[in-house]
Order: sequence, then structure tokens, then C-alpha cells
Amino acid sequence: MGNIIKTLDVTDSLTGLKDVCDLENGRIAGKIFYDQAIYEQELEKVFARCWLFVAHESQIPNTGDYITTTMGEDEVIVIRQKSGGIKVFLNACPHRGNKVCFAESGSTRGFICNYHGWSFNVEGNLVGQHESGVYEDSNFDKSKWGLKEVAKVDSYKGLVFATFDPEAPTLKEYLGPIAWYMDALFDNQEGGTEFVGGCIRSTYECNWKIAAENFVGDILHAGWTHDSAARAMLGGAVAKVSDFEESYSVNWNGHGYEFALDTVGNVAVLGESALNKYLHTIKPSVAERLGDFRSNMIGSVSSCTIFPNFSFLPGQNTVRVWQPRGPNKMELFTWVVVNKSAPEEVKEKWRKGAMMTFSPTGVFEMDDGENWEYCTKTAKGRVTAQQDLFVGLGMDSLLTETPLPGNVYEGQLNEANSRAFYQYWYDMLNSRSWSEVPNRNVGKPEAE
Amino acid sequence: MTALYDELRPVSAEQHYRITHFLNYEYRLLDDERFDDWLALMHEDIHYWMPGIENRRRENLLEHGFYAADHMAFFDDRLRDLGRRVARFQQPSAWAENPATRNVHQLTNVEVYYGETDGEFIVYSTFQSVRSRGLDEEYVIYGRRQDLIVADGDRFKIKKRLILIPNATLTCKNINTFL
Repeated sequence: MGNIIKTLDVTDSLTGLKDVCDLENGRIAGKIFYDQAIYEQELEKVFARCWLFVAHESQIPNTGDYITTTMGEDEVIVIRQKSGGIKVFLNACPHRGNKVCFAESGSTRGFICNYHGWSFNVEGNLVGQHESGVYEDSNFDKSKWGLKEVAKVDSYKGLVFATFDPEAPTLKEYLGPIAWYMDALFDNQEGGTEFVGGCIRSTYECNWKIAAENFVGDILHAGWTHDSAARAMLGGAVAKVSDFEESYSVNWNGHGYEFALDTVGNVAVLGESALNKYLHTIKPSVAERLGDFRSNMIGSVSSCTIFPNFSFLPGQNTVRVWQPRGPNKMELFTWVVVNKSAPEEVKEKWRKGAMMTFSPTGVFEMDDGENWEYCTKTAKGRVTAQQDLFVGLGMDSLLTETPLPGNVYEGQLNEANSRAFYQYWYDMLNSRSWSEVPNRNVGKPEAE
Repeated sequence: MTALYDELRPVSAEQHYRITHFLNYEYRLLDDERFDDWLALMHEDIHYWMPGIENRRRENLLEHGFYAADHMAFFDDRLRDLGRRVARFQQPSAWAENPATRNVHQLTNVEVYYGETDGEFIVYSTFQSVRSRGLDEEYVIYGRRQDLIVADGDRFKIKKRLILIPNATLTCKNINTFL
């Protein structure tokens, strides 16, 4: 099969990673945010291997609808097939490697390379070239020179993921029990969710991990970092997370979901009472669909990262990918997700509310960016980069008797998810194949 | 869509001067962080809109070409929203505003035309916003603007502002200013 991406040789893992990533002792070091050699290992052993979010199904409803994005730094086209399925191709012509699709989204019957006129259909097959006769004279086998297709594509509740690695576990195995928690946002109503049109892209001078970790389990920063935004939007401080009677940090395979059960703590910061009201209105039906427990999570104080770089906030309904662009540069792709069945005016308030809070102009995000950039930039200093950074909150907070699925830790103000995120990252960088990745999961793999 | 010159009614040199002066004054208020005074220049029905720019092929354009009203935006604000943004700037806990961001806003290519009704003016312009933070950070945003300005006694208010940047990817992390 000439159209499947060639598997690359695995390079040796770096030595000395333990010095900058020692989670048993709750320590990392800034070098992991600034080092070029580490970054190159990440592109190979994380981004060319893990399941990566590439699209929401609602973005490409009809045959030939496509979006372009990146998997790591590899440019890809995500396109709906006649069969209803979705294919993901490298956005590079197999002749000289030129980009074949320059648009970010649209609808097409195929792609034609601007360089030598190689033409591909929706299925990615090469169907023609400029001066096609000369290829025939060279016994050219067209069937072997289609667009290169990624190893696997699968979706979960409308979220489309892809992986370059044929040996990757299934998406279901990869997400594990975190999928059960994701339903609180992505499957709380009949009909599921859709993305609002468009994608806001912005550029950070920071390492992608610091942002991904912020969503995997760092609600601790919110009360301090976002004080100004909360006062602007609500006229008062952010809810004091330590006051919540019940909250959790749950992780699995490096993914993490931290949450309270206050139903509307996140949505409230959008300052639109109609959205609080909407969530309260649908809550009984969510309880019927997902049970009481998860009906408390539909817009609660919570956040999630699916390893490595896909994150979302229930309530604010912002969905994002932290795209790596070098050890100290990141592009942020931001979307807004809404329930398909929600009234139009509710969708509209979410479109604007997410923009107002968590986007490059959002009053909350405004105070995140500088923190993330300087967590990265201080590691430019050779000495600073090697110093221990504390990531040790909640070392003994694992809950062993809980009915909840996943590795469940008590409380949101806890760095258990951050440790699990960096541990999985460390394990990936130290593994030559998926079979070498140690299984550190200790909780229930499925909901009871 | 740009109207052809014959369809436009340019204002007098004096009126052009007054409105240009007003818009330069508005920008100076931003550079001086006089956000309350800046907010007072907004009409109560202000629509302050900076849509996201989408890089699409000519055969797949949106309602307005590269942007659409129901798609994602940087700003899609009414007066209450602008007031909330101003309120954040004014909090002592706006950590990322201390030390302050130093701003230079420039307005050029100003064209002023009579609007549909008396006392309304349509202003086309281009702008450049330069921000610097810390010792060496610099962020530059260029773009085009279409304003609807209304006379308010012998002064003016801004009723509509459409801000269009050429970039489909913002080249910086945020827009902690107004454009």
C-alpha cells in the first residue's frame, strides 16, 4: 500500500531525563520547556505516535468537506468521504512535497498541486497530472502515489482523532475511562455537539506542555491568576475552590480531568444568566441520560486535557489544541462547542461568551499568556533550567475505595493530574514502541 | 465591499479634519490608558466587531468573504462587553498589566463620507497598533477599519466599528488593547 505513511526508524531516547522529570519526588525542571533535543524527541515519540485531535465531525458534514490542521508540526487534511467516513492525509504532494491544500476549510471534489498539476480525488487517489503522457512513458504506477494517509482515524462523540502510528492502541483504549467524564460536555443531550464556525488561531512564545498542563489539572491558578477577570465579569472574586465539599482530579494515560460538582461554576464566569438557566433547564434530562453524578459536571468548575495537546473547559465551552511549533513556541487553535439541540440564542451567547473569556481577547486568558511564556523563557538560563520545580501537591490523595472510574484523587487543588501528565510524557519519551510504555493506571478502567 | 467613488459623498475638508482629529484623540486616550474617557466615546448602541479571518479558497467564501457574522470573533461587543474589558484593565489584580503595556496606536488612510442619515459619517481607515511589554517584547497589529461615527452635539460618538486584520493567525498571544 503505497499510500500509507511509511513508519520511521525509532531514535534512541535521551539520557538524563530523570534529572528534569522526577515525578515520584514531585519534581520537574524548566529544561523540559526549552530544550531543542527534547522537543525533537517529542515530535517523534509523542506527536508521531499518540492520538491527536484533528476535527469535530460537525465541521465537515458532507462529502468533500475538509479542514486542514497539524498533527505535531505535520500538516494534514481532514476530509469527509462519500462513505460517510473521514480520512486524514498528509497535506503534501508525493511528487516534490508541496502543500496541496492552502485553505483552512472548505468543500471540494479534490486537490490539485500547484507545482506540477498532480491531482487527487476526495479518497486521496492520484487521478491525473499535467503532461500525464510522460509518466506513462516511465511506467509510472499511479495507484502507488496517492496522498499519504495516516495510520488510524477514529472519533469519540463527534471528536475526530488520528494517529500516525499503526501500533497505537485503539482510541477507546487510549482515552480509557476519561471518555466517561468527557460525556458531561460532549454527550449531555440527544444529538450531541457541534462547533461554532471558524477557528481563532494565536501565537504564544511558550512550550505547549505548560498550557496543556494548565488544563489537565491546574485549577489552583484560577483564583489567583484570574482575579481581575472574575471581578470584571462577575463583580467579585472567583469561587473559592477549597470551599467545595466534593471535587476530584482523575487521570488515565496522561489525560486528566479535574472537576467540582457545582453544575454552573464555569459557565457563570461568562456573565450570561441565560446560559446558567439553560444548564439548569437541561440538567434533569442529563441526569436521566448520564446519571446524577455527571449531571453536576455540565458546566461546573472543571477542565480537561487529553494527552498530549487537546483541552477543553466545560461551561465556558472552549475547545483548544496547543500546537507545538518549537520548544518555546506554540500556536493555539480555539473553537467553541455547543449542543446541537440548544436554542440559537443560547449558541450565540456561548460564541460570544467564550470569546469574551477564553480567547486571545478573553479577559481570563489575558492573564494566562504571560505566565506561560515566562515559565518557558526563564528556562533559557542554563542554570535556571536545571533547578527543581515543585509539582508535589496531593502526593497521598489517591482514592482507592471510590466507585468512580480512572485514577481518582481527592480534590481539585491537587497536582496529581499534572504529575500523571508529565509521567506519561516521560514514559513516551523513554519508550521505543507502544509495547514499552509502562501501564501506571491503578484505578477502574470502566464506570460501574 | 468597497463602494465606487461616484456612490460616496465625501465630507468637506473641515469636517474631515474634525473627524480625523476625533479619531486621533480616541487613540491617544488608549495610549494614555484613559479607558473610562475612551468608553465615554462609544454610542450606547455600539457594535464593536473584529471577526476572525479565515483563509478560504475563492470558491468557498463566507457571507462576507473571509469572515461571517455567526463565526468566531476577536471582538463582537456591545457597550456592556466593552465595559467589562475596561473593568479588567482597572483591577489592581490584572497581573499582566503591571508593569504596564506601552502602546502606540496610529491611524492613516482616513476617508470620511456622509452616512445615510444626517449626522452620520462613514470612516474608512487603516491602523497600526504597536505594543511593548517588559524589556523587549513587541507586538504589531495592522488592519483596516470601517467606523460609523455619529454627531453628538458638537462632538462625536462611535456607533459601529469593524476591524479587519489580514492575518488568519494572530501573530501574538493576545490583544490587550482596543484597535
